[in-house]
Amino acid sequence: MTTATVPPPVVLGAFDEGHAGLANQMRSEWTKLRSVRSTWVCLVVVFVAGIGLAALVTNIEAGRWGSLGLADRATFDPVRFSQTGTFLSQFVVGVLGALVITSEYATGSIRTTLSITSKRTTVLVAKLVVIGVVVFVVAEVTAFASFFTSQVILLAHGAKALPPGATILTQIRSTTIPYVSLADSAALRAVFLSGVYLLLLTLLACGIGFILRHTAGAIAAFVGVLLVLPLIVDVLPSSFASSFEKYLPSNLGLAMTLVTTRKTDFAGVLLPPWPATGLLAAYGAVLIVIAGLLLVRRDA
Amino acid sequence: MISARGLTKSYGATRAVDDLSFDVRPGVVTGFLGPNGSGKSTTMRMVMGLDLPDAGAVTLDGRRFHDLRWPLREVGALLEAKAIHPGRSAYNHLLAMAQTNSIPRTRVDEVLGVVGLDGVARRKAGKFSLGMSQRLGIASALLGDPGVLLFDEPINGLDPEGILWVRNLLKGLAGEGRTIFVSSHLMSEMALTATDLVVIGRGQLIADTTVDDFIASNTVATVLVRSPANDRLAAELRTHGAGVTSRDDGALLVTGIDAAAIGDTALAAGLPLHELSPVQASLEEVFMDLTSDMVDYHGQSPVQVGS
Repeated sequence: MTTATVPPPVVLGAFDEGHAGLANQMRSEWTKLRSVRSTWVCLVVVFVAGIGLAALVTNIEAGRWGSLGLADRATFDPVRFSQTGTFLSQFVVGVLGALVITSEYATGSIRTTLSITSKRTTVLVAKLVVIGVVVFVVAEVTAFASFFTSQVILLAHGAKALPPGATILTQIRSTTIPYVSLADSAALRAVFLSGVYLLLLTLLACGIGFILRHTAGAIAAFVGVLLVLPLIVDVLPSSFASSFEKYLPSNLGLAMTLVTTRKTDFAGVLLPPWPATGLLAAYGAVLIVIAGLLLVRRDA
Repeated sequence: MISARGLTKSYGATRAVDDLSFDVRPGVVTGFLGPNGSGKSTTMRMVMGLDLPDAGAVTLDGRRFHDLRWPLREVGALLEAKAIHPGRSAYNHLLAMAQTNSIPRTRVDEVLGVVGLDGVARRKAGKFSLGMSQRLGIASALLGDPGVLLFDEPINGLDPEGILWVRNLLKGLAGEGRTIFVSSHLMSEMALTATDLVVIGRGQLIADTTVDDFIASNTVATVLVRSPANDRLAAELRTHGAGVTSRDDGALLVTGIDAAAIGDTALAAGLPLHELSPVQASLEEVFMDLTSDMVDYHGQSPVQVGS
């Protein structure tokens, strides 16, 4: 150990050309993400919870069809059962999205990160892209795997697709469990947007993390938006609350993943799926722009 | 070359760095001295683009940090050894750093070898001792083979062997023509390692000079004299304009005239001399003298409680 004095001469290649850019930073962020265990724990939980809850809930609900009341039959959504895991996963990906940056502030390694890059916004963008791609892939795989798991169980319970042009009345009167396949564009959209919902929440949480720079604070804020905000809105006078509760992130998620062939159910209460997706993305974008402005201005 | 001009930085009402200007030249080790809380780390963070100065600027070979194209290849720094994700291995920590600046993986192995951590490269950095973390921090500073290197208190937590190693490493890097800027509150260490000195207290520049000049210009030449005829010799020396004080052990401390003149005076007066030795002040003493009124955090002697 003591014999080493001066590092050996190295040839690192010319650095008069080009500059450290987004591609470099993205490689680095991927190395950081894959080299801590919490990443893998979170992703495995998303996948296992997705399929496990889909199987569990679908099995329970399918077995009850014969004894369901009119209202329950009217709102029976064979796709939503398959995406039950999203309720848990949204918090898991939120933690993951926040940790990507808050763990660097907690350990102080943010000062290493920012002292080897001359453009701070590159760090923000690289982190968002890397965590976004990783969560999106896992979330979509989980969403479709959950859907197929659910489908197998429904078929085992004798589910049958409703005839074309089916209404709520058709569904209520059906003697067999209603069933949809991915050939149904509404079902396909709902399953796909279930993964998109987790992606957007991850980016939102990452933005909160950049702004608050504190793990516990960021996670509390994220959970507050998803869980506490709806409770607060709930106790407000209903005429007042109903005008904006459809804009709550949790309700946007519901709007995105609902199979709305029976659109009368939630007409007016929820936004249509694509506008809901756009609004949630806009929330994320606003937070990320604020995060970027603060990152450039604040001392590390 | 690091050049600071009028650097000023406040945190709330506290002015951490106040109109600080200095140059750090390549080819030698430059020590950055100051008591705890004097603004050394703040200054280093501003050099590395982490904190933005309220006024003034600091440049690395003429460019500000945020204008560097490949920052890690141009300036390397050890700022906080423990600022590492505890769950990540040393190898992956360095790899993630290297990738930001297109530095090949082979260089990661190379610097791990240089600092002697190749055997524990796959272990989680959270399990490292402070000394091992310091070595990892030094490895990360060396990673991009930069021409400018900053080390904030690099020998903290190192054993004597490690301290010697760091001392030789710094001198070796400077010998290759690099700019080496090392902060420390350990004056004795700087006396052994540094050639140049930047000294600050309460965020203000006290001296920007060499170690030798700093000692010479801030100490009064003192000669220690012993004689069986102390009183008569003291009186004789005073008539020649010297300042004389007596020490408890009977020795005289003489200022104002040099050892040769003291010897001549004693001979002329027919007085015997048993010792005649110039006293060299240590960097530590000079520093303590100079910054005693600028230390923000004084220790206190335990208060004696009467019974």
